[in-house]
Amino acid sequence: MARGKAKDGDGNWKKFIWNSEKKELLGRTGGSWFKILLFYVIFYGCLAGIFIGTIQVMLLTVSEFEPKYQDRVAPPGLTQVPQVQKTEISFTASDSKSYEPYVKNLEKFLKDYSADQQTENIVFQDCGEMPTDYKDRGPYSDAQGQKKVCKFKREWLENCSGIQDPTFGYKDGKPCILVKLNRIIGFKPKAPVNDSLPAEVMAKYSPYLIPVHCAAKREEDADKIGTVEYYGMGGYSGFALQYYPYYGKLLQPRYLQPLVAVQFTNLTYDVEVRVECRAYGQNIQYSDKDRFQGRFDIKFDIRSS
Amino acid sequence: MKKEMDVDDHKLELPDLEAKYSTSITKGLVGAVAAERLLRDGPNELRPPRGTPECVKFGRQLAGGLQCLMWVAAAICLIAYGVQEGQGDRGSADNLYLAIALIAVVVVTGCFGYYQEFKSTNIIASFKNLVPQQATVIREGDKLQINANELVVGDLVEIKGGDRVPADIRIISAQGCKVDNSSLTGESEPQTRSPECTHDSPLETRNIAFFSTMCLEGTATGLVINTGDRTIIGRIASLASGVENEKTPIAIEIEHFVDIIAGLAIFFGATFFVVAMVIGYPFLRAMVFFMAIVVAYVPEGLLATVTVCLSLTAKRLARKNCVVKNLEAVETLGSTSTICSDKTGTLTQNRMTVAHLWFDNQIHTADTTEDQSGQSFDQSSETWTLLSRVVTLCNRAQFKSGQENVPVAKREVIGDASETALLKFAEVTVGTVSEARGRFPKVAELPFNSTNKFQLSVHTAGDRQLLVLKGAPERVLERCSTVMIKGQELPLDAQWREAFEGAYADLGGRGERVLGFCARWLPAGTVAAGTDPEALPEVAVGLCFAGLVAMIDPPRATVPRAVLKCRTAGIRVIMVTGDHPITAKAIAKGVGIISEGSETPEDVAARLRVPLEQVDPRQARARVVTGAELAGMEPGVLEGILRAHPEMVFARTSPQQKLVIVESCQRLGAIVAVTGDGVNDSPALKRADIGVAMGIAGSDAAKNAADMILLDDNFASIVTGVEQGRLIFDNLKKSIAYTLTKNIPELTPYLIYITASVPLPLGCITILFIELCTDIFPSVSLAYERAESDIMHLKPRNPRRDRLVNEPLAAYSYFQIGAIQSFAGFTDYFVAMAQEGWWPLLCLGLRPRWEDTHEQELQDSYGQQWTFEQRRYQQYTCYTVFFISIEMCQIADVLIRKTRRLSLLQQGLFRNHILVIAIVFQVSIGCFLCYCPGMPNIFNFMPIRWAPPPQVPVVVRAHALRPPHPHLRRDPQAGRAAAPRELVGS
Repeated sequence: MARGKAKDGDGNWKKFIWNSEKKELLGRTGGSWFKILLFYVIFYGCLAGIFIGTIQVMLLTVSEFEPKYQDRVAPPGLTQVPQVQKTEISFTASDSKSYEPYVKNLEKFLKDYSADQQTENIVFQDCGEMPTDYKDRGPYSDAQGQKKVCKFKREWLENCSGIQDPTFGYKDGKPCILVKLNRIIGFKPKAPVNDSLPAEVMAKYSPYLIPVHCAAKREEDADKIGTVEYYGMGGYSGFALQYYPYYGKLLQPRYLQPLVAVQFTNLTYDVEVRVECRAYGQNIQYSDKDRFQGRFDIKFDIRSS
Repeated sequence: MKKEMDVDDHKLELPDLEAKYSTSITKGLVGAVAAERLLRDGPNELRPPRGTPECVKFGRQLAGGLQCLMWVAAAICLIAYGVQEGQGDRGSADNLYLAIALIAVVVVTGCFGYYQEFKSTNIIASFKNLVPQQATVIREGDKLQINANELVVGDLVEIKGGDRVPADIRIISAQGCKVDNSSLTGESEPQTRSPECTHDSPLETRNIAFFSTMCLEGTATGLVINTGDRTIIGRIASLASGVENEKTPIAIEIEHFVDIIAGLAIFFGATFFVVAMVIGYPFLRAMVFFMAIVVAYVPEGLLATVTVCLSLTAKRLARKNCVVKNLEAVETLGSTSTICSDKTGTLTQNRMTVAHLWFDNQIHTADTTEDQSGQSFDQSSETWTLLSRVVTLCNRAQFKSGQENVPVAKREVIGDASETALLKFAEVTVGTVSEARGRFPKVAELPFNSTNKFQLSVHTAGDRQLLVLKGAPERVLERCSTVMIKGQELPLDAQWREAFEGAYADLGGRGERVLGFCARWLPAGTVAAGTDPEALPEVAVGLCFAGLVAMIDPPRATVPRAVLKCRTAGIRVIMVTGDHPITAKAIAKGVGIISEGSETPEDVAARLRVPLEQVDPRQARARVVTGAELAGMEPGVLEGILRAHPEMVFARTSPQQKLVIVESCQRLGAIVAVTGDGVNDSPALKRADIGVAMGIAGSDAAKNAADMILLDDNFASIVTGVEQGRLIFDNLKKSIAYTLTKNIPELTPYLIYITASVPLPLGCITILFIELCTDIFPSVSLAYERAESDIMHLKPRNPRRDRLVNEPLAAYSYFQIGAIQSFAGFTDYFVAMAQEGWWPLLCLGLRPRWEDTHEQELQDSYGQQWTFEQRRYQQYTCYTVFFISIEMCQIADVLIRKTRRLSLLQQGLFRNHILVIAIVFQVSIGCFLCYCPGMPNIFNFMPIRWAPPPQVPVVVRAHALRPPHPHLRRDPQAGRAAAPRELVGS
């Protein structure tokens, strides 16, 4: 009851914290505290043991080379280099400082693609100059050691390779971006069926190619984009199928994703231009929720001065 | 009432009265004047106590301790949303969403609570809407029927038997008018009303009839002297509303508990706010953490659960004739340790019944049960033939017509209480009374009056006349010269007189009202028809004494068992009555309030033959205290008496004294239930922890003041209520323990999220779903759990010590079961992450990159690259997995909580069907949330795979290791010691 409650208020607090008569701290004697602490130490010890044990057992059931489920990661995302905040590339052609981050990012990314990085023949395999079919490399285990990786020549990227022009066209206001498909173990992208593609993509068709095409995101920007150049394996604007499937970072630690370089040679200056790039394939899908699934969009804002 | 009544109208002569109220005692008021006065004084009705405005009631539902925390959380969400929106951040709609969800939760639970309260108030409202009372009033010389609430001061009204007195009335003329003042004074005897002023006090004088008392018989004309709230009753009613409302024990329990929860929530929130700031999170983020912790820790569904549990019990009680006005009263009843009960109507049947007869020098016991199922006595003696004839004939009462098919006990009778009792007794024992009366037509009679103290009548019996007489035994004996023993008329000598005195004293000592009966055969024509009744006593001499009949208002059949049940349940029953001490004591003994073998100090004094002052009070378990003694006591003495004598009876008490008794009991730390029916009881009803009003006999004022109403006026129903109250306390404890447990597995994800920077394992929305959707049903279903053992064999709970939520319960829920659930949840979380490619060690510290909306190629343990949205759905998968693990653990938990004392098998796994249904329902909702299309984007649930859940061993282990309910031990020390021992043992 409420009445009389005030009576046993303050005075008892001190007694509660340390009761000298019964030698009780916070209502318990030392022995009692010891017992209860011992109980909880053992109790939580057991719990933690079981927790760790369960996790260990679970990890035993999970393969080192291949994830158990991939339903959340597939279909793959499409991403670009340079990686930019808010997917916006904005610079002034005449000001090298303004595009330096992009160039550095591209240069860093392409380092692995340089010819001198792909000399070890134990790791790398020449997969030809033209798109061909998938290269299956056996089961997902290290029974046969590491798997080989297809070479990807930086030269194929031509103007965007950074070999001739270390600024990747940025100093001329003709920026390059690299397009790549997210790595997914065992994923074999299927080339698109002919009739589902825009005419520009069909121009250079190969049955072993996942074509990439960039266009204005909005209709009204269509004339502001100007010419778009694509560089890739064998001059195709797409990802060749022999680079798939991916075998994971343990079996293919130096795997090179196929790239497509896209150069915008005649972008309108001083206007925000939104470009959307898509990869086309039967098992590459787009989602309203995930704007990076099978496509991405990027904003260009090139200032003239 | 505490101040002296300032009424002096009873002392005024009629002309003065006419002048005072400018009216006429023959023609009444003029219509226009009456209308004017009605306008001035307002209608003649009691103003209902001013209720709290509806919006305030609703507001209160929204502003409880937990609700305030939720408001704060919602505000933080909104601020976070506003700031993020201001920064042009994408994906911040989550916070807005959560704020809306939180506000919705508060409002919905508020509406629910309000609805419950509204519903229970409605029950009361239904009592008020009785048919408007009519009154016969004389205005301008014309007799009119008007609504009683239109009466004004000065009106001339007529009342007759069966009417309720429509206002305070000064009687001008009366014919045999008797009123029942029991609702005002507690006096159960009908009282005569006549025009003479007999007493200085307006309450005692005979010429005032009070508002809302019943006129039992006769007619009267009177002048209205007070109306509405200015009547005596009105003043008492306003006294009742002046007594402040105590908080119910359960309200205190819940407040106590909410304080702790809110304190802990803020403590945890603040701690992690500081931790987050120290780790280097931005201020806004830390605030969001704070909010999330509050949401995770506060048991949002708890108040709804408690309300539902209580209202379920209230419904169950209503079926057993207890209507609960205030939901919390259900539990109060369970913690009741003292019941102050009225006598008349509650413990007794409220009807005079023949209990004993004395004839042939022997006391015979009559059947006093309500349904006439008891044993009858030997009726073969010829003395009985004579006695029964006197009883039948010397009686003016008669049954109302058209009740041939009604059982005798339930028939309505015209006549006073004793005559009614005799009439019914005769009807049951000898057969149809009207037939007997037809065989012996009445020649002349002298009705009962207070000077003669007897009543007699003369009847024709073939060629003779029979004179029958009944009355006060000593007066009857004076007129007798012989006594009939076994059919023989023997002279009434000293030996028989002594036998008579003995029997009279014996019956009187049992608190019974004793009447003597005698008769005499007269030659035909001794008394001619139409003889002056006043001449009859001269004939009535030399009579033959037939016997004594003793009457009492007998206890209800169910009461002794109920009192015994109270006693075993550690509840003290105190009788408080306005009746005579001897009668009160007799009834108290009859129902077991004074148990067999207990003695009052008077008894002890009589046994030891010492003066009363020398008796050691400790020798006497029982004590009868009268109102007069009570009035003379110093403050504090009453407490001493209550402490010294476990069995107490208070007789001849006034309403204020009832209040004093209740307060004294409360000062001794008892939780007091008070029963009452009269207006005079309402202050005590209000003051009590739980006021119980009588549904049949109770006045509106009593019902207004009470927390509970007994529809059948039966004391035994209170005991049922106590049982239900105790059961619900037990079950609420189970429900709360169940509800509390999951707060830990809801909280730990955030703690780990902040400190170990793993991707968030459990979202706020998901938490709200657990709290308010899936787990509500099992926690409510625990209210249907049967009593585990005979809860009526335990002492009432001590409100200071036995809390609803105590330390062992919280420790067990939080640190043991909660910890197990958390581990189970995290096991599942890490499994779900690892199976999709995120191994446990990678998860640690992953949060900043995981939550970076611009990171579209985050690498998992296999080198696969994930976009932000893919990670988000993976996070939702984790929410779902964590949700499912909590649900599964909670199913195990509800089974653990089913029992507190017995083992699960003893209690029966499936006997509580509701609980089984609730579990099925819980699983169905879980499946629906997971597998219904569209859920990922609406409520962040993802379809997950059916897989043998890895926490199964954990749950099984939880059962195996379960310490046997440490929170149940009455002795907390035992509980603490038991836990470690149990662990070592298994």
